[in-house]
Amino acid sequence: MKMNPWRVTLRVIAILLILVILIGPLVGVVLWSFAERWYWPSPIPQDFGLRFWKQVFSQGRVLDSILLSLTIAIITVGFSLALAIPAAYGFARYRIPLERILLVLFLMPQAFPQLPIFINLASTFSKIGLGGNMWGIILAHTMASLVFSVWIVTATFKAIPVELEQVARNLGASRFRTFLTITLPLAVPGLIASSIFVFLWSMGEFTAAFFIGAPFIQTATVLMYTASMGYNLQIASAIAILLIIPSIIFMVIIERYLKAEYIAGLGG
Amino acid sequence: MGIPSYLPGWDPHLLGNIRGDSMDEREKSTVGFLLILPALTILAVLYIYPLVRSIAVSFTTDEGVLTFANYKKVFDLYLKDILYTLFITAITVGITFVISIIISSYLRFKEWKFLDYMYRLPLFIPFLIVGHAMRIFLAPHGTLNSLLTRLLGMKELPGLSGSWVGLVITFVWVMTPFSTLIILGAFRALDDSYIEAAINLGSSKWKVIKDIMIPLTRPSIMVALVLTFVRTISSLTIPLMVGPNKPNMITVDMMFRVNYFRDWGVANALGVISYLIVLGLAVYYLKFMMAERGGLKA
Repeated sequence: MKMNPWRVTLRVIAILLILVILIGPLVGVVLWSFAERWYWPSPIPQDFGLRFWKQVFSQGRVLDSILLSLTIAIITVGFSLALAIPAAYGFARYRIPLERILLVLFLMPQAFPQLPIFINLASTFSKIGLGGNMWGIILAHTMASLVFSVWIVTATFKAIPVELEQVARNLGASRFRTFLTITLPLAVPGLIASSIFVFLWSMGEFTAAFFIGAPFIQTATVLMYTASMGYNLQIASAIAILLIIPSIIFMVIIERYLKAEYIAGLGG
Repeated sequence: MGIPSYLPGWDPHLLGNIRGDSMDEREKSTVGFLLILPALTILAVLYIYPLVRSIAVSFTTDEGVLTFANYKKVFDLYLKDILYTLFITAITVGITFVISIIISSYLRFKEWKFLDYMYRLPLFIPFLIVGHAMRIFLAPHGTLNSLLTRLLGMKELPGLSGSWVGLVITFVWVMTPFSTLIILGAFRALDDSYIEAAINLGSSKWKVIKDIMIPLTRPSIMVALVLTFVRTISSLTIPLMVGPNKPNMITVDMMFRVNYFRDWGVANALGVISYLIVLGLAVYYLKFMMAERGGLKA
C-alpha cells in the first residue's frame, strides 16, 4: 500500500500531539527529579545529577515514608484477601439474599464522596488510639479497597465450573479440602489481579493517609504532597516517579483485568 | 454437565446429589451469609458508621444539640464554592464526553495500536501524582510553556496552574481514559452490520456515530458520564494541587475547615451537600435506566 505524503505528515503530527498531551506532563516530573539546578528561562535543568535520588534512598524521612507505604499496602492486601476470599466464595456459590445490593454496597466507598468518610473515621480513630497510627490507615485502606478484591474474586470463583468441586466431593473430599485443593488453586490468577489493584490503590492513596496519619506518620503520598506544596520539587518528583513505576508495570501485566468498574476507584 | 453457576438459571438443588451434602436450603443460605459476614462487618463499622456519623455531626452543635447553624454557615460562606464545584464538574464531564467519543469512534473504525495503548496511560497514575505533574507542566515557566514559547517564538505565556482552566485540563486528562475505556468497549460490542448497513446506504461516518452508535450505547455512555461526575466532584487532591486559591472546590473547603478551624460541623455539612448532589444524579441515572429498559421492551 502506498502512503501519500500528506497522510504521513498528518500521522506524524497526530503522534507528536498525543505524545505531548500524554507524556508531556510526566516529562517535567522526570526532569525535576534529576535537576540539581534549574532556573528559568532554561528549558532543561542547568545541572543534572543524582543528588536528590541519593537523598531519597538515604535520607531517613523519605525512605521511611516509602517503607511505611509499602508496609501499609502489603498488610492491606493481606487483610483484603482474608476478608474477600470467604465473602467471594459465599457470593459465588451460595444463594445470598439481596446479593446485588450487597455487592453494590462494597462499591460505595469508591463511588460515593469519600472525603467525609475519612474525616469522620479519622476523628473516631483519634479517640480510640488509632489516629497517627499505621493500623488506622490499614483499616481505612482495607475497607475502601474491599470492592476490588470482593468483586474480582467473586467473578473468578463464578468462572470456575462447579462440577470440578462436585467431582472432588463425590470422591470423598471434605468441603474445606475441596476448596483448598481444587477451587483456590484455580482462582490464583484472579487473586493476584485483585491483590495488584488493592496494592496500587493503597500505595497511591492520599486522603485517608493524610487525615488518619497526620501529623505523626507520613506515607509516601503525604510526604510527596508536603514536598510539592513546599516547592521541594526534586524530592516530590522522585517520590512521584517511584509511585508511578509499579502502576505502569502492573497495568501491562493485568491488561485483561482492565475493567471499568474496578478502575473507577483507582486514582483516589 | 450441569448448568454453570454463573448462569442466571442456576439452582443450588443441582448440588443436592453430592455425597454427604445434606444441607437444606436454609442452612445453605446461613453458611453463605456467615462467609460474607466478616467483610460486611468491616464495611458496616468502617464505612456505614462514619457515613451516618457525618450526617449526624452536620446537624449538631459541639454540645450535641440539634441545629441547622452549620448549614446556614455553609450557605453564607460557601454558596459560591458549591456553584463553582458544579461548574467545574459539569465542564469536565462535557469535555471528557466529547474527547471520549472522538477517540472511541476513531478506534472503532480504524485499528491504531499506538493510540489504543497510549490513551490508557493516565488510568493508573494516582490523582495526587497527576496533580503534582500538572503543577509542573502548567506552571507559568513550566514544561508546557517552555515548549510553546519556543514553538511560537513568544517571550512569555501565562501559566495555567492555579486557574480554573488548568484545573479542568487536569481533570479531563485524568478522566478521559476511563470514560473512553467504557465507551470504546460499548462501541466495539456493537454489531458491524448496523454500521455497515448505514454506511452502505450512504450515511457519513459522523451521522453513523451521532444517529446509530451513540443512541445504541446510551446506557454505557451514561455510566461513563455519571462516574466521571462523581470522581470529579469527590476529588480532593487535584483541586488542592492544581486549582486556584479562590474559589475552591468543596472538598478543599472541607479539608481547610477541619485542618485550620477544627470545625467538624461545617465540614460535615459540606460533605452532606456533596452526598445530596451525587444522590440527585443517582436518582436521575436510575430513572434513565428504567426508561431505557422500559423502552426496549415496548
